[in-house]
Amino acid sequence: MNHEFQWRSEMRKLAGDAQPQRDLWPQIAARIAVRPATSRWRMGLGLAATVLVAAGVVALAWRTQSANTIPIAATAPAYDATSMAADNAPLAWAVPADPAFAAASRDLDSASVQLQQALEQQPQAVFLVGLLNRTNAQRMRLLRQAPSV
Amino acid sequence: MAAGEALKPGTPPPHPSSRMDGLALTAGVPIAELPARDADAALVRRAVGGEATAFEQLYRRHAGRVHGAILRLVGMDRARAEELTQDAFVQAWRKLGSFRHESAFSTWMHRLGVNTALMDLRIRREEDATDSDELLAAAGGEVPFCAAERGDLERAVAALPTRARAVLVLHDVEGFKHEEISAELGMAVGSSKAQLHRARGLLRRALADR
Repeated sequence: MNHEFQWRSEMRKLAGDAQPQRDLWPQIAARIAVRPATSRWRMGLGLAATVLVAAGVVALAWRTQSANTIPIAATAPAYDATSMAADNAPLAWAVPADPAFAAASRDLDSASVQLQQALEQQPQAVFLVGLLNRTNAQRMRLLRQAPSV
Repeated sequence: MAAGEALKPGTPPPHPSSRMDGLALTAGVPIAELPARDADAALVRRAVGGEATAFEQLYRRHAGRVHGAILRLVGMDRARAEELTQDAFVQAWRKLGSFRHESAFSTWMHRLGVNTALMDLRIRREEDATDSDELLAAAGGEVPFCAAERGDLERAVAALPTRARAVLVLHDVEGFKHEEISAELGMAVGSSKAQLHRARGLLRRALADR
């Protein structure tokens, strides 16, 4: 009989399952326990950012359509886009060390930039200022909870 | 609701995601009745959604195979194999989102277990520094097999030098090709063949000396 065939067939004796002598699940469960919570937190932030952007875009479209019929600037204070952008400088430099939080921070930064661009188009839209402030507040909260690298 | 408990008349069936007893439904079929690959795929989807109990079921279905492969690679060191099996499943939980269902979960998980053990072998650097030229020179001709009982074989394999043992186990037991072994262990294909030849020679000598 061919030696190669003999080696392989005999060594296959060693193949097969070997259960651990103790149940490893409790320790595995303890080690992975943090992950789902982190994921939910990240998903929550991402969702919040998406909702903010979507709300901004929808509202902007509605305002643009109805600009001829609804006077929006009558009571709203004038908005200076340049000074606002300077006050709310992007926090892109502050990327959290945890990759899960880093992804959420990117979502929020992206939302912030889009809102600022929308404000440049509609400087008198007060509701966009509110959305931008809430987005930046969330970004600051993220920064406080997840230290940057 | 406990597994197998009958529904009371008028009671709506529980939502699949609320069932933690291994009977979560996939298109109306209980996990236990699905083919293994489909059952794993259903459990993976639930685990990706953050359901740790689904991942526990995956662990229970695959721990034996993964631990077996790791145990052989680390030379039957049970404590170390158990640590590495834990590491492999923790890594699997973290990487589960990137699992694309292109291969069976069992294959993916087995590979992850093997990689975890090989990474540990690389970190520990226990290998005796055998010159690759010396190995290549030794790789002539076939080594006749020496029959042995499983227990003797296990002990002899466990006593082999780390790298030779890893190549022997990957090739002869786990069914890896030399190209795959060379990629996993960062060596030339020729070195993998030479290490296999060396391992078989050492094994044969050890079994003959019993």
